[in-house]
Amino acid sequence: MSNYRYWLGGAFVLAALALIPTSGSAYTTTLLFTMLISYTLAQSWDWVGGEAGYINLAHFAFYGIGAYAFCLSLLNGIPIALCFVIAVVVTSIVALVVSFPLFRLRGDYFAFATLAILPLTELLAFNFDFTGGADGVVLPPKYVLFEAYYLAIGLVGLTAIATVWLIRTRFGYALKAIRNDEEAAEICGIRIFPAKSRVLIMSAGFASLAGALQGWQLSYIDPTTVFGLDVALIPIAMALLGGSGLLWGAVVGVIILSLFNQLLIVSLPILQTAIFGLLLLLIGRYMPGGLLRSGIIRNNRWIGFLGREHDRFVKATAGVTMTDGLPLPKQSDMKGQPVLECRNLTMAFGGNVAVDNISLTINAGEIVGLVGTNGSGKTTLFNCISKVFEQKSGDIIFLGQNLAGARRDDASKLGIGRTFQIPQPFSDLTVAENIAMPLMYRGAVSASLPDALGLATQFAEYVGLTDHLSARADSLNLQQKKALELARALACRPRLLLVDEVASGLTPMEVRNFVNHIRELRDNYGITIIWVEHIFSALAQVVDRVIVMEQGSIIADGPLDDVVRDERVLRTYLGSAAPEAV
Amino acid sequence: MLTIENLAVDHGKLRAIWDLSLNVDTGARVGLLGANGAGKSTTLGAILGIYPPSEGDIRYDGHSIVGNSPPLNVESGIALVPEGRRLFGEMTVRENLEMGAYTKSARAGVADNIDHAFALFPILKQKHNDMAGTLSGGQQQMLAICRALMSSPDLLLLDEPFLGVAPILVDEVMEALRRISDEGVTMLLVEQNIHRALDFVEHAYVIENGRSVLDGAKDTLLNDPGFSNKFLGLE
Amino acid sequence: MDASIIIQIALGGILLGGLYAMVAFGLSLIYGVARILNFAHGTLLAVGGVAASAIFTATAWNPLLIMALLVPVLGLFGYVFYDKLLQPLTKRSHFEYTVGSVLVTVGALLILSDVAAWIAGPAPRNIPLRFEAMEFGDVIVSTTQAWILGGIIVFTIVLHFYIKKSWFGRAMRAVTQDHTGATICGVQADRVHALTFAFGSGIVAIAAVLYTMLFPVDPYMGFSLTVKAFTIIILGGIGNLVGALIAGIFLGLAEGFTSFFWATQWAPAISIVLLLVILVIFPQGFGWRKSK
Repeated sequence: MSNYRYWLGGAFVLAALALIPTSGSAYTTTLLFTMLISYTLAQSWDWVGGEAGYINLAHFAFYGIGAYAFCLSLLNGIPIALCFVIAVVVTSIVALVVSFPLFRLRGDYFAFATLAILPLTELLAFNFDFTGGADGVVLPPKYVLFEAYYLAIGLVGLTAIATVWLIRTRFGYALKAIRNDEEAAEICGIRIFPAKSRVLIMSAGFASLAGALQGWQLSYIDPTTVFGLDVALIPIAMALLGGSGLLWGAVVGVIILSLFNQLLIVSLPILQTAIFGLLLLLIGRYMPGGLLRSGIIRNNRWIGFLGREHDRFVKATAGVTMTDGLPLPKQSDMKGQPVLECRNLTMAFGGNVAVDNISLTINAGEIVGLVGTNGSGKTTLFNCISKVFEQKSGDIIFLGQNLAGARRDDASKLGIGRTFQIPQPFSDLTVAENIAMPLMYRGAVSASLPDALGLATQFAEYVGLTDHLSARADSLNLQQKKALELARALACRPRLLLVDEVASGLTPMEVRNFVNHIRELRDNYGITIIWVEHIFSALAQVVDRVIVMEQGSIIADGPLDDVVRDERVLRTYLGSAAPEAV
Repeated sequence: MLTIENLAVDHGKLRAIWDLSLNVDTGARVGLLGANGAGKSTTLGAILGIYPPSEGDIRYDGHSIVGNSPPLNVESGIALVPEGRRLFGEMTVRENLEMGAYTKSARAGVADNIDHAFALFPILKQKHNDMAGTLSGGQQQMLAICRALMSSPDLLLLDEPFLGVAPILVDEVMEALRRISDEGVTMLLVEQNIHRALDFVEHAYVIENGRSVLDGAKDTLLNDPGFSNKFLGLE
Repeated sequence: MDASIIIQIALGGILLGGLYAMVAFGLSLIYGVARILNFAHGTLLAVGGVAASAIFTATAWNPLLIMALLVPVLGLFGYVFYDKLLQPLTKRSHFEYTVGSVLVTVGALLILSDVAAWIAGPAPRNIPLRFEAMEFGDVIVSTTQAWILGGIIVFTIVLHFYIKKSWFGRAMRAVTQDHTGATICGVQADRVHALTFAFGSGIVAIAAVLYTMLFPVDPYMGFSLTVKAFTIIILGGIGNLVGALIAGIFLGLAEGFTSFFWATQWAPAISIVLLLVILVIFPQGFGWRKSK
């Protein structure tokens, strides 16, 4: 389905909606009005929940704050257009302020905290005088159903546009990265707190407009209507019912649950909440991924497209100039000068000293092997250099700059790239999208999404993943994930590349291939490389020197031939027997 | 005692082990060698029942144990000292040991097995009321080994037991493993340090990419030039 | 300011806090073992309390007898609830697991409170058992209060020892601290999850009867109670009973004094503000175990 058809279809739907009030039925109009409001709420919730992966149970609080701000402004004689603006501004400020403490929390604790905010706002509304307490705020009665309805259509249109925009832009992809793996997102150059804060404010803004419209139409709000728990969870349930993170999820969820709710109101005099709760329970138990992700829907020829994941919506721009090799700057300046210096570096976790007073120097253009048994501190050293951890003491100087206090995305921007020992790809994104991420955020010229996807193909080809460009990262095997790690690290345009056990499990031929790549990266692109590896025969083919770590200290540092004859190395790493060959 | 035939194990959609066969005789010491990610830990996990095999068979004492849950296998006499030890950091050394005897059949012998553990590693007796999280790496490894012994297993699976153990303590742990073996416990040892492994086991299998690529008695392997080149060093 | 009034308020706060703590014990065990946010946990107390009150009104049985009846009922409910509705979700991806458990527990919350309101009416109620009051100087303590305070203390001590010494208690702690480690020791993790749910629910049953003897309950109070329980867990540390007790009492006292010195309607807000402030300063809570 091409793009213009979507716009046409959308316009058609909006036009159809616009015709409803002409039927004269207030009931239908009110019902549809409620659905439009619900859609705005559900969809705006999903930006934070489905895109960024943060389940915000206090979303409805933004709705309520918007409603109160609007109604109180209107009551005080402020012109109506300005009231809407005030609603958005006030709620956005609240969202901004609240995002600072909230986003320090992860996962379950984030949900706890947002869970607590809802009753807090309800209590605040009850107890403050200016909010009218339990009586709420009553507006001078005016029949504004039709005006409100048309404004709601406009709001829905805006929401839909915003959703599509999120799916297709760099910002949206930053959120997707954050959803999958915040650490890896930072390493790709994404600043995660501003991104999260921005999407929360955006979500709050739209929710506040929904609240303002609803308050205007009802001419009345009170704490329970606006902040009550059962009401508050409905938009969330709608988003989840359809399918969180999917373009059509909120739409489907809203339609189904609104109609179901109407059915309940009309046919059941009692226990409506219980039945509604039962529906939530059944959805949670049997279809937590949402209706649109279920096999029945996805496999259906006609409506299966509704369940498509996002990646089908953006195509790479064709015709990106295919240069030889990688789209990386060729640099061979700085030969012989130190790129990285560690001075008396120590890192400890509680009482466990992982890196013990290490000093080393890596010069530009070197390929250095780093070996040591598991637990010797190699990975911790990498983590310190790439600023995953802040060292307890000592200095790390990269390209003349002290890295003390730097964040992970700072390190990445300065030119430190790395792969992880256990690959950390963005699981629900494709190979192409994974590689495109740093291209969008780390490139010397930050590429747009389609350009980045195009460039990504070159990196994928370099590591042999051309056939898997559209495959989800979590469907790859371990070797392929390691290759993806490398491609993504290269896409970060590193000056210094930290490679963590990429070659294990490869056949000798594949190892030779990989070694050639390493050599090429140094020779053609001037990248300095530190390579952690267990298999000596692989290192022997390419390294200039080897550093051996044991129990957090460096026990040897020199050319490979010297190191393997070193007594200490033989004893602790290779075992007590001298190597057979040579 | 243990025979694995054409084992295949999947982790979700990923196949971690493709076609593995190996054999461990009663009372023997067998090694499972190979690089990281080759499938060694998965093999041990499959034997204990943590990872259900997708294909192939695992026979213990003549019966197939495919599909058995870990508690069932522990009752039958298999125990695992896992990678990363997996101790209970906020329980004392003694409590950790007691947990090792959780299965019904093991509970009767708790006191005796604890004494046995203390005899193997006197430092554990000294620290018996300390929280397991406060022990050093080597001491934790000792505790993990003893916890596995608390169910009086006939087959002991060890996943990199020397990981994070200071060189001084390695000998002590090795000594203890020898004593355990002498008492008749069959052992299957996963190890990265080839020489250290071959020092201890009599027979070894080398796994690569989820398949067994080489196996033989210790001397055979040491004298095989291909083996040396690949794992011991250089061209 | 009259010292006796302070003591009176403090006593009330300690009692309330102690009951909150009991609710939190159950939630703490459940969360520590199964890592599930059970939003319906507080509603169990609400519904249990309403049921206890209804039974008492109908039969005038001794509350201990009612407790003996309620504990196995809620315990069984907890077991089946986890086994049939939540355990199957553990097979799914982490996001679906979280979303699913939120929907299931919230759905249960709505069903339980609505059905209870339909059967027994939405009005607050309690177990109006009156004993003579005792006087210590100017401080008036009802025997009910004294008995319940004693009961809470005894219960906490018994629970503490049970968790420390019994095989099941150790299994719960082991699964909380290292799931895989527990499995290789022969613990059947799934069953422990379900039994912990049952156990936690049983504790709530006891708390429900005691609560209803002192304070009114209504079917809709569950959610705010759950929020308070979460607050206590985070303050006290997951799986830490003593911490939860202290945190609970602290919360109860804070509510009591806020009610008296400031205004009653602000009291419930205290717990929430406390929770948010603590989370801001200590994003991981006081406990050692990190959330997922």
